[in-house]
Amino acid sequence: MISPAAAYRNLLLFVLPALAVYLVFAVLPLATSIVMSFFQTSGASGRTFVGLANYERLFTHPTISARFWNALLNNIQYFAIHLIVEVPVGLLLAALLTSGKLARSEGIYRTLLFIPATLSVVIVGFVWRLIINPLWGLVGFPLLGTESTALTTISLMSVWQYFGIPMVFLYSALLAVPNELVEAAKIDGASGWTTFWKIKFPLIAPQFGLIAILTYIWTFNGFDLVFALNGSAPGPNYSTDILGTYFYRTFFGSSGQLADLDLGAAVATVIFLTVLLVTAAYFWLIQRRLKSYSV
Amino acid sequence: MRSIHASIPLAMTLSAMFSSGIGMAYADPVTITLNSWRTEDIAVWQDTILPAFEAKHPDIKIEFAPINTNEYNAAIQSQVEGGAGGDLITCRPFDVNREWIKRGYFESLEGLPGLANFDKTSRAAWSGADDKTYCLPVAAVLAGFYYNADIFKELGLKVPTTSAEFIAVLEAIKKDGRYTPLAYGSAESWQLAYNGLYSIGPAYWKGEDGRLGLIDGKKKLTDPEFVDAIAAFAAWKPFLPAGQESLNYADMTQLFTLGKAAILPDGSWDINQATSTNLNVGVFGPPAPKAGDQRYLQEMPDMGIGINAKSAHKDAAKTFLDWVAGPEFQELYVNAAPGFFAMSSKPVTYKNKLAQDFADLKKGAELTPRLALDRLSAGTPPLDDETWRLLQVMFTKSDVTPQQVATELQAGLASWYGPQKK
Repeated sequence: MISPAAAYRNLLLFVLPALAVYLVFAVLPLATSIVMSFFQTSGASGRTFVGLANYERLFTHPTISARFWNALLNNIQYFAIHLIVEVPVGLLLAALLTSGKLARSEGIYRTLLFIPATLSVVIVGFVWRLIINPLWGLVGFPLLGTESTALTTISLMSVWQYFGIPMVFLYSALLAVPNELVEAAKIDGASGWTTFWKIKFPLIAPQFGLIAILTYIWTFNGFDLVFALNGSAPGPNYSTDILGTYFYRTFFGSSGQLADLDLGAAVATVIFLTVLLVTAAYFWLIQRRLKSYSV
Repeated sequence: MRSIHASIPLAMTLSAMFSSGIGMAYADPVTITLNSWRTEDIAVWQDTILPAFEAKHPDIKIEFAPINTNEYNAAIQSQVEGGAGGDLITCRPFDVNREWIKRGYFESLEGLPGLANFDKTSRAAWSGADDKTYCLPVAAVLAGFYYNADIFKELGLKVPTTSAEFIAVLEAIKKDGRYTPLAYGSAESWQLAYNGLYSIGPAYWKGEDGRLGLIDGKKKLTDPEFVDAIAAFAAWKPFLPAGQESLNYADMTQLFTLGKAAILPDGSWDINQATSTNLNVGVFGPPAPKAGDQRYLQEMPDMGIGINAKSAHKDAAKTFLDWVAGPEFQELYVNAAPGFFAMSSKPVTYKNKLAQDFADLKKGAELTPRLALDRLSAGTPPLDDETWRLLQVMFTKSDVTPQQVATELQAGLASWYGPQKK
């Protein structure tokens, strides 16, 4: 039997490698990027501390701020579409998978439905672009070329790719519902419908919060699908611009545009805070109050 | 949906450390690095160009170190500002490079003998506020119209030289109904500007007259010549394929190479793709507004090479650039990368027939770079970005007029550009 102090020492020793990697590859770059946002490059001569000037420019310059708010609003819409479509679809499929009606084919369906989530976004973007291409595809209407439909179209492509994730969450939660409860309900004469909504659903409800917050984090750090489809100035008229592409454009510049590393760092910090604050609030207000069910 | 922001500064630092390590490597022969955004050119440099140079200069070894195009500006900026970067840096044209010169990234090239091979216009894209040249002009790209010669023959069409003839040709192809007149779509807004407006526009705004007029504030985008140019471009709309709003660059090239479209408005860099299916392809320049008018052609300086002010091997770098300025390099490069054109005043022959045809369009034409990239895009909103956006709006919505586009462009430019303020 080792002493508690030694146990803690060992624990620290085991955590250390992961901690080091995390510090060097996650915390340090993040901190550097935040520090960078308070500076301005004035040439090879060096960088000067400018306080919040980059943020001021981001929020008050007529063009820069207009594009920022546009990207933020688009991002909120991108998130909302994910949440509204992905969760019900995931729930329906999870319920079907666990209904017992599929018998042996359950495993096959589960795998098939999860496959899109394992594909590369570049492939998903490419394939969907061809499917809805007015020239070679199935849809005559230019979905991606019309301001009012472009963002919804991209969101739905992303939903198609990732609905498997909420499905798997809900599927495993449904499997964890104790059989005793379901059987008791059956004996009491409850229908399948009532059993699902009155017994199973309340038990898997905590999953929805988790799915929502994960979707929030993913969509607000989203970038790759939009970039793969529409590049870093996603049109038409910036209607598909989200925070990730806005950041990319600012930070990396383009062939004719200077890379603005300082303003880019400020954008990255704002994205980070947007994600951090909401996630922290969620864990503080909701997740902490959840209790696990015990029979 | 991965987070992209966290790892970037670190990656930058790492790559800066790397190249500084290479830059400082001390060896005999001297090894110098060349940064470029043309990752696709790696074989051209390693197998053709550098061996030719090293055969003549065995004491110098050049390492071609390309960086992903999209990340090029950010990478160079953070490396050079961190005191690193390659010994030789490929220069973006105009505004980006003017700022880089201002920040002291480059060593001036004045006094380099080879510089005499380039006239002032060719050097303009890489000159600083002090009028000194900081990068050696390497290559320019042209814009024009590829056409399917077999379709033209089948329909009995002649290559158009005026705007009226151009529209008549498009009408005839449309009326016949078997082919799409123009392989063109507006999903990628950059090419509405670069292959569309900036290609046919100079004939209306008289090339350098109009461009320099905007720069020194004597002209406005709302002046009739600019509105007419935008209107002439808008006149293409009825001749585009259905659903053009969401057709991207690859789609339009494909439409043309499959032989389903007669004309592809495009840049010279696309020569290899445009002819990839062995169609009988020809090329013509932008039409003149009226018969007998002066012809204009977009010649865009695309890349130059400069010497990093912090390089430890400036002499070797100068030796290399002097060779780049000579006919041997120019001929090697333009033939290894068809669609790129030498900017030197020394004659160069192109082995690719279409490239030679493109080069021939320069004869008798006044050359002008893309309208908005010189000075007019060095503030926010950049005129170039606004042009991309507003042309795309014009092509995807039915109720936006050329006048509105011009008005909004002018308002954006006047909001920050001194000479246009008033």
